[in-house]
Amino acid sequence: MKALREQAHELVEVARAAGADDVICEVIESGVHQVRFSNSEIDAVNCWNESHAVLFVALGKRTLVSDLRDLSRGRQMAKELVSNAAKAPEIKGYGGIGAGKFKYSTKKADKKIAQLREPSKFVLDAISGAESAGANNVGGTMCVRHRRTGVASSGGAFATDELASMDLSVRAFSQPEASGHSVCCASKLVDMKARETGVRAGDLSVKAKNPVLGEEGRFDIVVEPLFIGSLMHYTQNMLSAMWVDIGRSMYAKRLGKPVASKAVTLVDDPTMDSISRRAFDHEGVPTKRNVLIKNGTLKTYMHNTSTAKRFKARSTSNAGPLIPTLFTLMGQPVAFHPVVEKGDWSSDEIVSDTKNGLYLNNTWYTRFQSYAAGDFSTIPRDAILRIKDGEIVGAVKNIRISDNMMNFWKSVDALSKSTEEVYWWDEASPPSTLPLLRASSMNVTRSS
Amino acid sequence: MLEEDAALSTLKAAESKGTLLLAEVRLEERSTRQLAVKMGQVNSSISTQDAGMNVRIVLPTGIGFASANGISRALGKSLVEKAFKQAKSARRKTVIELSAEPPIQTSWEVRQRKPLADQSSEDKVKLLDRIDRAVMKTKVKVQGRYYELKDYEIGSYFVNSEGTRIRSFLPRVTIESSNLVTSKGESEQSVRQWGASGGWENVEGWALDEALPAEVRMLKRQIDQGRKVKPGVLDLVCGPEVAGIAAHESCGHPMEADRIIGREMSQAGRSFVAPDMIGKRIGSRYATVIDDPTVPGSYGYYPYDQEGVKARPRYLYKEGLINEFLHNRETGSRLGVLSNGSSRSEHYLREPIVRMANTFVAPGDFEDDEMIGSIKEGVLMHSFTEWNIDDKRYNQKYVSREAYFIKDGELACPARRCVLEITTPGFWGAIDAVSKKIEFSAGECGKGDPLQSMAVFTGGPMVRLRSVKLK
Repeated sequence: MKALREQAHELVEVARAAGADDVICEVIESGVHQVRFSNSEIDAVNCWNESHAVLFVALGKRTLVSDLRDLSRGRQMAKELVSNAAKAPEIKGYGGIGAGKFKYSTKKADKKIAQLREPSKFVLDAISGAESAGANNVGGTMCVRHRRTGVASSGGAFATDELASMDLSVRAFSQPEASGHSVCCASKLVDMKARETGVRAGDLSVKAKNPVLGEEGRFDIVVEPLFIGSLMHYTQNMLSAMWVDIGRSMYAKRLGKPVASKAVTLVDDPTMDSISRRAFDHEGVPTKRNVLIKNGTLKTYMHNTSTAKRFKARSTSNAGPLIPTLFTLMGQPVAFHPVVEKGDWSSDEIVSDTKNGLYLNNTWYTRFQSYAAGDFSTIPRDAILRIKDGEIVGAVKNIRISDNMMNFWKSVDALSKSTEEVYWWDEASPPSTLPLLRASSMNVTRSS
Repeated sequence: MLEEDAALSTLKAAESKGTLLLAEVRLEERSTRQLAVKMGQVNSSISTQDAGMNVRIVLPTGIGFASANGISRALGKSLVEKAFKQAKSARRKTVIELSAEPPIQTSWEVRQRKPLADQSSEDKVKLLDRIDRAVMKTKVKVQGRYYELKDYEIGSYFVNSEGTRIRSFLPRVTIESSNLVTSKGESEQSVRQWGASGGWENVEGWALDEALPAEVRMLKRQIDQGRKVKPGVLDLVCGPEVAGIAAHESCGHPMEADRIIGREMSQAGRSFVAPDMIGKRIGSRYATVIDDPTVPGSYGYYPYDQEGVKARPRYLYKEGLINEFLHNRETGSRLGVLSNGSSRSEHYLREPIVRMANTFVAPGDFEDDEMIGSIKEGVLMHSFTEWNIDDKRYNQKYVSREAYFIKDGELACPARRCVLEITTPGFWGAIDAVSKKIEFSAGECGKGDPLQSMAVFTGGPMVRLRSVKLK
């Protein structure tokens, strides 16, 4: 582990000696073992291993980033990067990198996960669990991940971080149009409850049997953490200063104003035990728990050093990947682990208190016609259960929530006292810890 | 030049494992450059060189795939060990078979008149700056402006245990734009993408310093002059962009055979289409949708897929009938046909799966003005903003970015955020005319786990739908 930060430090020194003013280097070793399954059988077992360094250099306001994929040539490539940065365009809004005397938390990864190479057993347990609950067709993914990172920077970053995690996603069908979805995220092997996850997906698929065409109109929606996780993907993006800056955010010009019901407190907490725990952001600045929305009021956007300078704020240690991922923009601050704080209802109480509603297990394909206003729609999938007078009375299908995201968060009137960590594909992403909640009077539409 | 030796020695190591259905080895190297301009200022600049390899082993009882950055004989050997062990661990009861395909020995490349690698970052900044200045010159209030340019070259060497040897070189370039226009206290957004396989000459051809000023002026007109559609049943003309997204979402995706047999059931979902629906009616006789990887210069271009199968046009819906699924070798064999060359992967780190390439509505024989001229009361939905579709690909929604009312065969004032929420047979069944002129849009299609972003074209001519419910 220490070798990674030493390697990062060495590349920082090489870049500095070559003339760079600011340098950040992350050296990353990662491995993923994945089992994909469908029709209650394993389809493919995949693994991918990467060992590389992401290097950022700045000469004055000229910056350049590269992913050094051949570390045997790391020193030479670092020199070349500095040389190329001299020819890179000037970034007028460049605000430097995080600097200071940093202290980092040191949490250990579960060695049992880090050493696990044969996760198929968990998949078979999940399939068996779903079938025991009444499902007849089960699919999903199990991933075992191990990531070790060393970071160094000219601003004083010098640290290591290690995370081993498992994530299981199970979708179970009891009929062609009746399905349930459940996930399990674990940063300790003992927390991987594969069979229980399968049972829950199977149970939901049975509840979703014989769905009828859903009605249009206004309904109170009781939504599971998996559903909120999908909406959180966009909510956290819009809380990024970068999205605010380019007009893709309903939170623009709303600092200090109400943006959710008073029941809602949203934080980003990379420091808690989770499958997306991080000791430092991508500038090497120690991560911290940031309250983004407190009792419904917008407290801050998420910042890196440059966006903080532009917004006359302080970095929130949310610097995103220096090489953008599929759903991030170049230079975008990101949330690492969003958390909606729990309420004081039991899940059963929320359902029994709902007169005219829908219980929604999951959703996907959330898209906006106006990020600035928050107008969007999303398509509930898996168990969609009709609630009448506090009772679940059957299943429905083919509906869409067509409403406003700000209105959704302002309409939250009940949150469960238990929370769950969720992560699924690139929908419920980044991993987040969420309660079950109710949003009142949301607009439901369907195809004609 | 990628080392043939590393590929062939890795293949030999795989073949030494005994009786395999198939072993494949892919070496890949790519150079990527990315640049973004935000609100008139350069925001970020990236330049990366990458190289890596993968091994895929197919046994009757499972598939194993292992990948890593780096290329060497030793790495290849270790990937073989992993992939073989993983394939064995699957222990499937349903036996895997692969369609019989001829071995191919060839090399191909996409030519560039102006090589992407020759363009300096200064040239690129000038281009994005010119676009930004042109947008600002319109005097339209554009509060959010973000333009991102990415270009890359992928060199690949692919071999399999059946004798296929394919070397390739594919340069691609793409620009994404995001604009937020405000007027009278309201706003409209535009998020668009242009893309091509080939050189810098494509970027010059897009003329974005004209297209994007026109786009922001259009958005202002939508705000200033647009009226909401009174919900009801109307005739609708969909422009090429809308026809293209419908072709992609409600024809291309449900016709992916891996979805149909359930392989993507827990992520992108299943399909309303079942294996026995070939020949069943899904639309009117004007509904023909083609997926064709061989469109020259297209963003989704490839002549051979990632299993080494020769690509060809696939007629997915043909004259309103479900005609042909998109197949790789595994799904083809499962459903008793040959692969039609639909196997793609985003990167050497990822397994190849069934994907679209360039999906479009086939042109018809109407002139564009005839499409509109024949409508007494309706809407032209020229382009879209919000859209989505359920995971069986049956219920879809398109909200207009640019739309106009049609009155007595003439275009009238802008129709603002017109909504079409319709079923798949509802859409394809309502078509009664298709125009001659086809246009394409570039996009990134997401599928697989981890999500693989795939370069595609969507497109078509204008299509006319009679009596559909608009909101």
